[in-house]
Amino acid sequence: MPYPPVPFAPEFVPILEIVAPAGAPVPGPEDIAAMRAGASGFVQPVADVIAGRAVDAEDRVVPGPAGQPDITVTILSPAGHRDRLAAGGPAVPGLLNIHGGGMISGERGMDTARLVELVLALGVVAVNVEYRLAPEHPDPAPVEDCYAGLLFLAGAAAELGVDPERLVVMGGSAGGGLAAGVALLARDRGGPALAGQLLLCPMIDDRNETVSSHQYTGIGTWTRELNLLGWSSLLGPAAGGDDPVSPYAAPARAEDLSGLPPAFIEAGSAELFRDENVAYASRIWAAGGNAELHVWAGGIHGFDVYAPDSELAAAAIASRLSWFRRVLGL
Amino acid sequence: MNVADYEPVPPVPYDPELVPALAGFLDLVERIPLRADTIQVNREHFATIVPPLEQLLEGRRIHVEHRRVPGPAGDPEVEVTILRPEPAVPDAAGIYLIHGGGMMLGTRFFGIDEVFDLVENDGVVAVSVEYRLAPEHPDPAPVEDCYAGLVWMAGAAAELGIDPQRILVSGTSAGGGLSAGVALLARDRRGPALVGQLLNAPMIDNSNDTVSARQYDGIGAWDRNNNDTGWNALLGERRFTASVSPYAAPARASDLSGLPPAYIEVGAAEVFRSEAVDYATRIWATGGQAELHVWGGAFHGFAGFAAGTTVADAADAVRSGWIRRVLGL
Repeated sequence: MPYPPVPFAPEFVPILEIVAPAGAPVPGPEDIAAMRAGASGFVQPVADVIAGRAVDAEDRVVPGPAGQPDITVTILSPAGHRDRLAAGGPAVPGLLNIHGGGMISGERGMDTARLVELVLALGVVAVNVEYRLAPEHPDPAPVEDCYAGLLFLAGAAAELGVDPERLVVMGGSAGGGLAAGVALLARDRGGPALAGQLLLCPMIDDRNETVSSHQYTGIGTWTRELNLLGWSSLLGPAAGGDDPVSPYAAPARAEDLSGLPPAFIEAGSAELFRDENVAYASRIWAAGGNAELHVWAGGIHGFDVYAPDSELAAAAIASRLSWFRRVLGL
Repeated sequence: MNVADYEPVPPVPYDPELVPALAGFLDLVERIPLRADTIQVNREHFATIVPPLEQLLEGRRIHVEHRRVPGPAGDPEVEVTILRPEPAVPDAAGIYLIHGGGMMLGTRFFGIDEVFDLVENDGVVAVSVEYRLAPEHPDPAPVEDCYAGLVWMAGAAAELGIDPQRILVSGTSAGGGLSAGVALLARDRRGPALVGQLLNAPMIDNSNDTVSARQYDGIGAWDRNNNDTGWNALLGERRFTASVSPYAAPARASDLSGLPPAYIEVGAAEVFRSEAVDYATRIWATGGQAELHVWGGAFHGFAGFAAGTTVADAADAVRSGWIRRVLGL
């Protein structure tokens, strides 16, 4: 094999045997519907995820991109936050969350558990955005929907009890890529100021030319084959080619990474996105920008989602919280 | 190439919480610019800032022993300090410590307190090695002394009560570079098995010409000028030739496969950032295991000099977690 993979940490091997058995057939566009159904199967109602903990939830339909349909968001707040606000209580930081699923699958409810934990740990308000998926809605629909979600969060800051100086955009996998794209859009359009961008194993490079993009061919929770399917669904024939690709869709294509909010970039060492994530951090630093990078040994793609009770997930989540406290002044 | 030939590269800014700690570091450690003609006065100054071992160990249930052990073939013996838990535990994990100081400064007691908790609470046996320093003893003296100490430790595993399959080599700065060099030597000479290599802000690239080296030229802790002094002292006239040993400058190694799992930690705002990231990336490309943590806005040596800050506490917790995983604690 020309690209021996970095081995998976032993604690993930039994999980991989269940969720990503070796020898699975190469996925194609015809499998996207089943992928979506599979992702939906893991989504629980918000109230069940909150399970009586001190978090308020509200769904709302808010404006989408100009001339495009409205988008739906779920707003998660510390319980009683708006009552306290009405009584003169302080605004809190706000998060815009973007779910993953390779640009072709998934829904915002996948991330409710992660966000409830953040609301409880940090006392923040989280806005979880539903965006249109490829291939029915190719680029720029997904990233523009997400950006519209950011505009809603920033515009409704006073009503939501959010401090507009402390907004963070975040997401995992495709959601991490879209979060990076939203940060680039916010910079280039003079949009809402961001205090940070939390990019968890972000999908940012449509070219699939890195070493790690080859190392996880046919293995792992997000394979080279799935990645090619995701990018071709989002970008069509432009994916991976010499024709221009929007940097807001594939942030690794951005020529200028200066002037971005502080980035937190996390990946597993045993995943496809490792090298593009490390390169993105390196290019931010080279521009004099602020980034923190964590590459966890043997981590599979999305290890904290697939194995929330693993040692590595606990360490990774603690590191995220530390970064949030630093960039948000908590 | 002259430094002035480059476009200025803006540095990554410091974490605001670390700014006072950086000022403290510069005032305490880097009071005297480190140049070829100030190495000796810097050594004398360094000696005043490293507390005596007895003072560091006060109140600890740790047994201390100093020993002379065989050096490299034909060279003097090397001195090591052995820290053991009291009472001893059987089949202990071992940590082999290599101190920092730019290849020119420091003793085996510099930073040794980093392992006290592991020895006292987790039953680890630590060995810290005194290696010869450049420029009086240029490459390969430092790395060969370090390797000789490791060979001794592995050979004495039974006597020391160490499980020879659980020895970790660990160092910071120059000690991180020497740790990487020792891991390469152990691989190439079929020497002691290592369970891991902990490379904290490692000094591994003699070119001193990376993006981050250019960003911290004249600013920060262990800036590009200090680093030049270190590499010149270690390698002399060989520094910019093809004959630089990969054991002295591990970034020069052409093959990074077959190495023990690496833990590579560095600050985002320091000279060694680029070479540390590159070393991890090259290990992964061979299918090797490495964990990489680049801490936002952190200066060289922040972990040891900014205790109590949010970022240093996070770095300590993550490093400790990795040590526990690789040593099976």
